Amino acid sequence: MYSYIIRRLLMIIPVLFGVSIVIFFTLRVIPGDVAQTILGTSATEESLSALRGRFGLDLPVHEQYFLWISGVLGGDFGVSMRTGAEILPEILSRFAITFELTLMAAIISWIVAIPLGIIAGINRNSKTDFSVRIISLFGVSIPNFALATILILILSLVFNYSPPVGYVGFFEEPLRNLQILFLPAFVLGTAMAGAVMRMTRSSILEVLRQDFIRTVRAKGVKERIVIFNHAFKNAMIPILTIIGMQVGVLLGGTVIIEQIFSLPGLGQMVLTGINQRDFTVVQGAILFIAFVFVLINLLVDLLYAYLDPRITYK
Amino acid sequence: MIKNKKILVALLAITLMILLAACGGDDSVESIDNNDDQSSEESSEDTGESEETAGEQILKIANDQEPAGLDPHITPAHSSVRVYSKVYSTLVGFDENMEITPDLAEEWDWTDDTTLVFQLREGATFHNGDDVTAEDVVYSFERILDEETGSHIASYFSSVDSIEATDTHKVAFNLSEPDATLLTNFTNSSAAIVNQSVVEENGDLQQVAVGTGPFKFEEWVPDNSVTLVKNEDYFVDGQPALDQVEYYTMVDEAARLSSIRTGEIDMTTVTAQSAELLEAEDGINIMEYQTLEYSYAGFDMNHEILSDEKVRQALSMATNRESIVDIVWDGQAVVSGPIAPSMGDWSIDVTQHELYSNDLDQARDLLEDAGYPEGFEIEITTASTYDDMIDTAQILQQQWAEIGVNATISQVEWGEYLDIWTNTSADILIGRNGSGSDPDRAMNYFFNSEGSANVWGYADETYDEIVYEGKTTIDENERNEIYTEAQNYLLEQSPNLFFVSPSNYVAVRNTVENYTPYPHNAEDIDETSKK
Amino acid sequence: MTEFIQKLKEDKVGLAGLIGIVIVVVLALLAPVITPYSPDQMHTEHVMEAPSSQFLFGTDDFGRDIFSRIVHGAQVSLQVGLIAVGIGATLGLIFGLLAGFYQGKTDQIIMRVMDVFFAFPDILLALTIIAVLGPSLTNTMIAIGIVFTPVFTRLIRSAVLTVKENEYILNAKAVGVSNIKIILKHITPNVMAPFIVQITLALSGAILTEAALSFLGLGVQPPNPSWGVMLNESRAYMEIAPWLTVFPVVAIILTIFCFNLLGDSLRDLLDPKLRQ
Repeated sequence: MYSYIIRRLLMIIPVLFGVSIVIFFTLRVIPGDVAQTILGTSATEESLSALRGRFGLDLPVHEQYFLWISGVLGGDFGVSMRTGAEILPEILSRFAITFELTLMAAIISWIVAIPLGIIAGINRNSKTDFSVRIISLFGVSIPNFALATILILILSLVFNYSPPVGYVGFFEEPLRNLQILFLPAFVLGTAMAGAVMRMTRSSILEVLRQDFIRTVRAKGVKERIVIFNHAFKNAMIPILTIIGMQVGVLLGGTVIIEQIFSLPGLGQMVLTGINQRDFTVVQGAILFIAFVFVLINLLVDLLYAYLDPRITYK
Repeated sequence: MIKNKKILVALLAITLMILLAACGGDDSVESIDNNDDQSSEESSEDTGESEETAGEQILKIANDQEPAGLDPHITPAHSSVRVYSKVYSTLVGFDENMEITPDLAEEWDWTDDTTLVFQLREGATFHNGDDVTAEDVVYSFERILDEETGSHIASYFSSVDSIEATDTHKVAFNLSEPDATLLTNFTNSSAAIVNQSVVEENGDLQQVAVGTGPFKFEEWVPDNSVTLVKNEDYFVDGQPALDQVEYYTMVDEAARLSSIRTGEIDMTTVTAQSAELLEAEDGINIMEYQTLEYSYAGFDMNHEILSDEKVRQALSMATNRESIVDIVWDGQAVVSGPIAPSMGDWSIDVTQHELYSNDLDQARDLLEDAGYPEGFEIEITTASTYDDMIDTAQILQQQWAEIGVNATISQVEWGEYLDIWTNTSADILIGRNGSGSDPDRAMNYFFNSEGSANVWGYADETYDEIVYEGKTTIDENERNEIYTEAQNYLLEQSPNLFFVSPSNYVAVRNTVENYTPYPHNAEDIDETSKK
Repeated sequence: MTEFIQKLKEDKVGLAGLIGIVIVVVLALLAPVITPYSPDQMHTEHVMEAPSSQFLFGTDDFGRDIFSRIVHGAQVSLQVGLIAVGIGATLGLIFGLLAGFYQGKTDQIIMRVMDVFFAFPDILLALTIIAVLGPSLTNTMIAIGIVFTPVFTRLIRSAVLTVKENEYILNAKAVGVSNIKIILKHITPNVMAPFIVQITLALSGAILTEAALSFLGLGVQPPNPSWGVMLNESRAYMEIAPWLTVFPVVAIILTIFCFNLLGDSLRDLLDPKLRQ
């Protein structure tokens, strides 16, 4: 077990190196650079080359990469070309926001989806099952940004409500923080709920078919106890997996929601960075997101292995 | 089965209740605020600040773009200008009629054709307490002119030969040749007076801002907000009226619209369509002003087909600018030439110009003369960031098809757009230009063969001579005539097609007083206050 | 196979999904015939008109007929979905087969590269690829295809690993059947079940991703009427002219709905564990 963990941890290193190389060189191929986006249509040749020199963009590309990656290895992500701000502290503070948003979305989706999934599963092919499946599919089918815009519009017109402006952290003002994040988390959670519900349903279906459940039933144990004590517990394993995966996917998928709800999260950072050709910001943020993503995947794998004794590791 | 249905209903009910509780709860808070109509109190209530701050005047403004940095000398982005123009002062400013007024300089004087002397106000201080002296002015402009700085406004002061502090509060600009545009250029927010020690301490001014203006820079939370607080020692008595200004970045129009409706914010720019919607609502005033901008299609003048003047004229005639006004700007724009109509006397009336007549037959004749009776294929490039540019491209595509010109649209995102702009790597580029505060900007900077924003490859000696004369002629009437000639000449040559100059809209809660947007300064809040 | 079709016939939900997809495909193919106007034609005197007998779904801000655009949009959106998923699935199938069958170094190299791409969040990867290639219909499909590749590769690889241990394959190897033949004749058919399920689900993912990219201005290029583009253009007018939003939203929801219904049924039908 321990050697497995260590081996998996070591495997993260080449992956992250790969990510750093891919993102670094990809960015250098994108047309346009930060000097142009800063100066916009007021650019002159002289001012452009002065700015490029200041950002080290006049160096050969492999030297730029070497400078950057050796900085990163020493914990220095550099400064934003555009604003001159330190990148790592900003990544961390933005990660906190994206993570909280993701977590809230996940919790909202669990509250709705897991019970519905169980109900649908134990009543396979009943009317309840169909209606639950259809509702869940709606959640998956509507584009995030459309749902967000519709909700914003309806809430402001009908209830004269809009989320408070200006982000504040949870530890500064918990209540306001939750108010700000609820709506975006709800929108994100909708899509997620569909997926979790479907997974829950099929896990329950699978478990209910297994032999030990039949044995328990045959013993005359009440149906409700069968479901909650035996079936649900066993169905939790795959559900946990998808939940872990979803959190990982959501971390990168919040871009659009962050933009619509003006949340200063990581996705927004990457998007603004790409638009402004702020290479140092984009490569730092992507590398960090990849790191978290790989780590979460590893955790999920380990959790899975831990919960399911049938899995062996080499 | 029945039981399960009950559970389902219960779950749905709970979900709904959570939703409603969230909305309903806030709704009640909101209605209390609406009753006493005191948004400043609302903010203290919402943020849970203590009682002492309750009387503070806080203005919340939502913008569609994040500031790109705070250094006035190297950041032309409007999202940055609106912030640093409140923190810094310039030597002179504009009043509402675009007449030059004192700012940091009390008086100014042309001692001869090539020497401009400013007498600085005494007693003005930077936000860190330093006095403002002539040395600061010298330092600021030397920083602008230094190539290493890469300042976007260096070209504004290219006629400046040397700057001298002749006294603690007196500074002289020595020019290499007469320059009629110079004084106006000093009103530009980017020509800000900065503090040498602050620059040296921080390398540049992108993250810090220590100026002499009405507001002090307090905090910038990236992709979220910028907070400015009142400068108690501002050199203009009684200004500013506000205690604090908060700028929020809200990229999404729908979000800004809903926030101004609910009163979460006090002020925001909106599109013409949204303005129409808000107009009908209580508690919100809509203010309109004509911008100094115009939309255009720029031609690659070295392009095989487009280098022919007749082709460009044909395209101009094939363009129905009125429908651009109606469809792209919802009727809220005026047809424009190279100098936007809001520049007043400087701009000529283009609506009667032959090339604006939308005469398709004549356009076809011109194409035939040029040797393209069947039309041709061409690509229009536009920026994905701006809906109006995408829309304009789509309309041109439709209209030009009438004379056989088949255009495809390539929509690129902003960074690439700027790259294409710099390298003129598009056949036809859709864009918007600001015509600046002096006609020289619109005419010289964008179209002189040496002009740094002339990316089109347009080079015409006659034109160069006309605009050079305009720049060096001091007499206003004479200048006016020169620029009229220049505009007509440029229209005839059509290196760009000029389309329309849009109106901008600001939605303001009716608790905000003493705020009026002007074309040259839409966001002056020095005297603004809240009820 | 006949058994499979028989089962699908019995599964009303899956059948409904299939029929829905067929309808959308037919509409898309017949677009030029059934639409009253060209999707780009601007009726400047009928701007933002509500649905009427002349304009079934109303007109947009340019006075273009929304019904015509929706039907033509089906073409564009399906095309994006099919080709993008086609790219991802083909690449995934090739890499997955190679990695799973040969294992060892080949496996290591392929899977590490896939890990690298898998570590990028979907939208951000697509965004970066499009930033490099420039936004266009083709590049949107390529970007989404690349984004989907690692998922397919992993899926195929693990399916191959399971199949490979089957006796008949070991036998085939023992009697000296060539590797290529084994891969094509024995392994590929046996990994098709999860592959097909994944394809139906990926199709809906592709349509949604295209919509998301359009929101960011990087998807299909106007005036090309993909549903994503239409939806994004409509956001500014949601209040004044809700029909601009309603029809593309409904089109997207229904289509994805059908793909998911079919995908779910296929999963149930093809998953041996659920066959009882």
